[in-house]
Amino acid sequence: MIRIGLRDARAHLGRFAMSIVAIALGVAFVVGSFGFRAMMNDQVAQMMATNADHDVYVRGTDRTDDGDDGSAAVSASGVSSSKYNPVATDLTGTIDAVPGTEPVAVTYAVSGLVLVDGAGDPVSTMGSPTLGIGMSAEHPWRAATFTAGTYPSGDGEVALHEFAARRAGLTVGDTAKVVYDDGPRDVTVSGVFATSSAQAGAIILGLDPATAKHYSDLKTSDPTTTDAIGVYGDANGGAPLTDAQQRSLADAVNAALPADAHAHAVTGDEYRAEATSSTQDALGFVQPLILIFAAIALFVGSFIIANTFSMIVRESMRGYALLRSIGASPMQVFATVIVQALVLGAIGSALGIGLGWGMTELIAAGLARMGTPLSGSAAPSATDALTGLAVGLMVTLVGAAMPARHAAYAPPIQAMNETVNPERPVARRGAAGAALCVLGAAAWLWIWRIAAMDGVPTGVPALDGFAAWTGAGWPLGVGAACLVVGVIVLGPALVGPAGTVLGWIPAHVFRVTGRLAARNLARARRRSANTAAALFVGVAIVSCLGVIASSAKASVNGIVDTGLKADFAVMSASSGRIPQGAEDAIRAVDGIKSVSANRFLFGAKFDGERVRGMTFAAQDTLFTDVFAPEAESGDANAALRGGQLVVGKDIADDRGWKVGDTVDVSTENTVVDEDATRKAAQDYQDQVAARIAQLQTELAQQTAARQVAAAQQTAAQIQQIGDEARQVDQSRFVRTTTRRVSRQVTVGAIIDNSVYRTCIIVNDALGDELGTKETMVTMAMYLAAEPGQDLASLETRLREAVRPYYVVSVMNRDDYKSTMGSMVDQVLLILYALLALSIVIAIFGIVNTLALSVSERTREIGLLRAIGTSRGQVRGMLGIEAAIIAVFGTLLGLVVGVAAGVVIRATYAADGLEVLSIPWGQIGLFLALSVLVGLVASVSPASHALRQPVLDAVGDE
Amino acid sequence: MGRHSAKGVREAKARDDRGIRGADDRGADADPVVARAVDLVRTYGDADSLVTALDHVNVEFRRGQMTAIMGPSGSGKSTLMHCMAGLDAPTSGRVFVEGLEVSAMSQRQLTDLRRTRIGFIFQSFNLVPTLSAEENILLPLEIDGRPIDRAWFRRIVRVVGLERRLSHRPSQLSGGQQQRVACARAMMARPSVIFADEPTGNLDSRSGREVLGFLRQCVRDYGQSIVMVTHDPRAASYADRVLVLADGRITRDLDHPSYEEILDVFAGDEDPGTDDGHGADDAHGTDAEARA
Repeated sequence: MIRIGLRDARAHLGRFAMSIVAIALGVAFVVGSFGFRAMMNDQVAQMMATNADHDVYVRGTDRTDDGDDGSAAVSASGVSSSKYNPVATDLTGTIDAVPGTEPVAVTYAVSGLVLVDGAGDPVSTMGSPTLGIGMSAEHPWRAATFTAGTYPSGDGEVALHEFAARRAGLTVGDTAKVVYDDGPRDVTVSGVFATSSAQAGAIILGLDPATAKHYSDLKTSDPTTTDAIGVYGDANGGAPLTDAQQRSLADAVNAALPADAHAHAVTGDEYRAEATSSTQDALGFVQPLILIFAAIALFVGSFIIANTFSMIVRESMRGYALLRSIGASPMQVFATVIVQALVLGAIGSALGIGLGWGMTELIAAGLARMGTPLSGSAAPSATDALTGLAVGLMVTLVGAAMPARHAAYAPPIQAMNETVNPERPVARRGAAGAALCVLGAAAWLWIWRIAAMDGVPTGVPALDGFAAWTGAGWPLGVGAACLVVGVIVLGPALVGPAGTVLGWIPAHVFRVTGRLAARNLARARRRSANTAAALFVGVAIVSCLGVIASSAKASVNGIVDTGLKADFAVMSASSGRIPQGAEDAIRAVDGIKSVSANRFLFGAKFDGERVRGMTFAAQDTLFTDVFAPEAESGDANAALRGGQLVVGKDIADDRGWKVGDTVDVSTENTVVDEDATRKAAQDYQDQVAARIAQLQTELAQQTAARQVAAAQQTAAQIQQIGDEARQVDQSRFVRTTTRRVSRQVTVGAIIDNSVYRTCIIVNDALGDELGTKETMVTMAMYLAAEPGQDLASLETRLREAVRPYYVVSVMNRDDYKSTMGSMVDQVLLILYALLALSIVIAIFGIVNTLALSVSERTREIGLLRAIGTSRGQVRGMLGIEAAIIAVFGTLLGLVVGVAAGVVIRATYAADGLEVLSIPWGQIGLFLALSVLVGLVASVSPASHALRQPVLDAVGDE
Repeated sequence: MGRHSAKGVREAKARDDRGIRGADDRGADADPVVARAVDLVRTYGDADSLVTALDHVNVEFRRGQMTAIMGPSGSGKSTLMHCMAGLDAPTSGRVFVEGLEVSAMSQRQLTDLRRTRIGFIFQSFNLVPTLSAEENILLPLEIDGRPIDRAWFRRIVRVVGLERRLSHRPSQLSGGQQQRVACARAMMARPSVIFADEPTGNLDSRSGREVLGFLRQCVRDYGQSIVMVTHDPRAASYADRVLVLADGRITRDLDHPSYEEILDVFAGDEDPGTDDGHGADDAHGTDAEARA
């Protein structure tokens, strides 16, 4: 029996092509999604091993949630890891004294830099950062090996990672520019280094440690602390330590650390594992998205297989009848079909695994092309491959099971009969589906109501309490699940009415073919509905996201059109900070009526607590020249002028503040203690002077005693100490102190502008009292032109003014809109790619369903042809059938997707989705496209139907 | 006959341009021969295993007559009908319907021929299952986009006795009713000739008589030309003329034979399977195969 099955499988291989493709696609998505995830994880792990390559890390002991400190705390790995309290930088001395350590120093990293190549163009990356890392011969970065040149010294030199050098076209000795926070600086390339793993597109610069420290200190509120101190052990002569060695070194360091330092040493492996998993979790969202499409592909695949096997079984029924009549058991006949399914599943899965691998490689290659080289392995692991194989086989078996059963148990005579057995009624299934749909719709109505009524849906306390308890996320998800499953279950019951309604137009335009097509759909409701379901899910996802994207865009445009009064906005592309020089240059441009600079105030506490949002200082002109206030209560303009707080509505609601409330605003700033610093430097000088005086006394004695050798040695020592004292790093003596400022401020106004909803705004005078120059960075500037100015020429002058700063961009109102718009467009691009995928899968499904339908209707089509139906009419009939299926699925998807979009928009209106915008054009396009999809899908089955000679079709044998 | 509305004329003209409606309409001075085969040969298979289904057949089917083609299985009677109707292409020789050479037609011309000149009644599976009886009857006209002659429709429906069954689907009709719907459909388009392939083969004798009676009536009352292939001597006895085929040749040509005459032909030759219609072909087929 198995031999017959295998032989049949070989004979039917051509017929299996479509099933194999479907299975391969589904498995490819599964394997690809796992593979992509694994590749990213591998990449992250590799980068961690390279970029956080110390053997031991000393970090804080207490977990903190002060992540929004704004200290731009970026470790050498480029991963923010300020989950622990910072440790004092002067612990390096203590750690250095521990035996077995290489010289210890804090590795300072500077983010938000821009490298400008020789031609004056910034070296751009695909969203990856440009990082400067302090390194020197005394304090090297072990994972980096110089391929040319050497370490940079002084702030006029940089070393480049080979990727950065290649991108910028720079080699050792070339001159380039680096844009620091305070402006661009000319530098010479001192060397080029390589790292073992690719850096995922990051541009990495090696800086002199002093330079790195200088710019790192500028960004942090407390230069005397750092997130972690990395320690290299010297046990292996410069090679990384083993885990045990790391362990013992960490123990030794811990023993040396003072108890009050709040510091703790962990092994490098532990540190890396922690950082790796947190980064990997952040990337985890990609996989479920791909898996949804894998599920669609496999769902379609399983019924393509069911259809294919139904056809094969019907055609082979005489053969099975013969087998049965010579004594084969039903089980054996079943086996011959299942063996074919296994062969099919195995081939499809194997192809799919290869395809998935290829897809991952392709993505990696695409990323590399776009400037994000990855060195993570794209090869699927054995587990991934086995998962793919198992999924593929399972889907095939599920698909083949029913036809195989039919082959085994159907009486042969019935199987030879052309008439299709009437379908089981779909009413009960329809009722279950409808119930699910109602449930889902109710869940969505509920949260829509919550959103519309501002969180108080009914006024009945118990129900309102329930609303608050569930929140919006759960009902949204449950509703979506109910509706999607509900529609799929309900589908067959909808096919009949849908055929009538959707078939109305074709039935009136093409009288006969249209009517025949519409009625044919209702003959196999389940099959028609399943075919449409593939398109339904894909279109639902895409149209839902389409509504959200379109609403986001419309909301931004709305803000700009109605609220923004400024003519230009100025932003910085790097770390968000606008260099002082650029700010000054802009202020100097002619034709500007007013400049508003928003300076962020980090770490402000209100009544002793942080708020969920940001605090910034602005000029009095903010509400007259930048955004018109949408005051919920109070006069925002007067409040700002009067030194009161202007609070965003969300924060006010959160804290229960009303206009007139008095709030204690406090900041803690670490400032340089000038006196202590001067004293420390003085102490050092005094020490040196005393030592030199002592040595000079010795020298005099030695000279007197004619001890020539000893005297020469002492003289050299004096010389050396003097030199050291002159070259000493002055920053060693910086002493800081914490300055606490506290003010009682009245809430002057609560505003509802969407851009400021999570902001607290103070005026400059209050801001300067609360913050320091170092911590208050200008993040955004808004310019209003003088009346009558030619905006175009003013824009040109502004751009000219900021050109030397490279990273500062001047945006006019349209640019400002499109910065948001282009982000949305990128999201849409991905959506369209997904849509294209689901369309391809859906076409397979429709082609297959039609092919089965045509094979069932061979005689009927022959009859139609015999009584004068033209070839074109047969094609038309099948085209209309396919188009109705496609439009049916698309319509269902659009209804559910748009409804989801509307509900989600209403729920998250406060997060930048004030305006509902349904992209009607897009929806129309989807519908038109679906008609096209149907027509395209019908071409091949129609050709197949027409190839059949009329005589064969109507012949009685 | 026929509505000569402006539209009808225009459409008729359009068809002329397509080259099918070349012959005159059925009129008093029409050619007395409605369909004709000249030196028709049809072989199957390759040189090693050549089967000659039709062996240089020359035959004329006369207008306004019912002609029955009889013969044992494998005698070529079905092949003859298929070639005459343009369902099968002859190996050599020519076939004319209304003076148009069917054997030289393109697919497009064949489609038009089927729409305007030829009606079909098959042994089974005559109706489109998704359409009601009425829709099935009107289907040929609708496919062609021709105006529907309601008076003619009512007359036909009355003759076949389906007035109360028009809205039923084929699955709700008995076999005899289904065959009567098929007859009505064939008549509706008023084709030059109706080809009926064992129209009573699947029916009980009473239903078979009804169908044959209707066909007879069409010939008598409306001058319809019908060519019918059958095994059944009783069915053949309804015909004006009976052709007997054997081994791809016409061996007998009987004019208005009685049932007994037909039986005699077979008695002298072979056992016709005198079973009363139903199941006759099976018995006969087995016989023919046994002889072969």
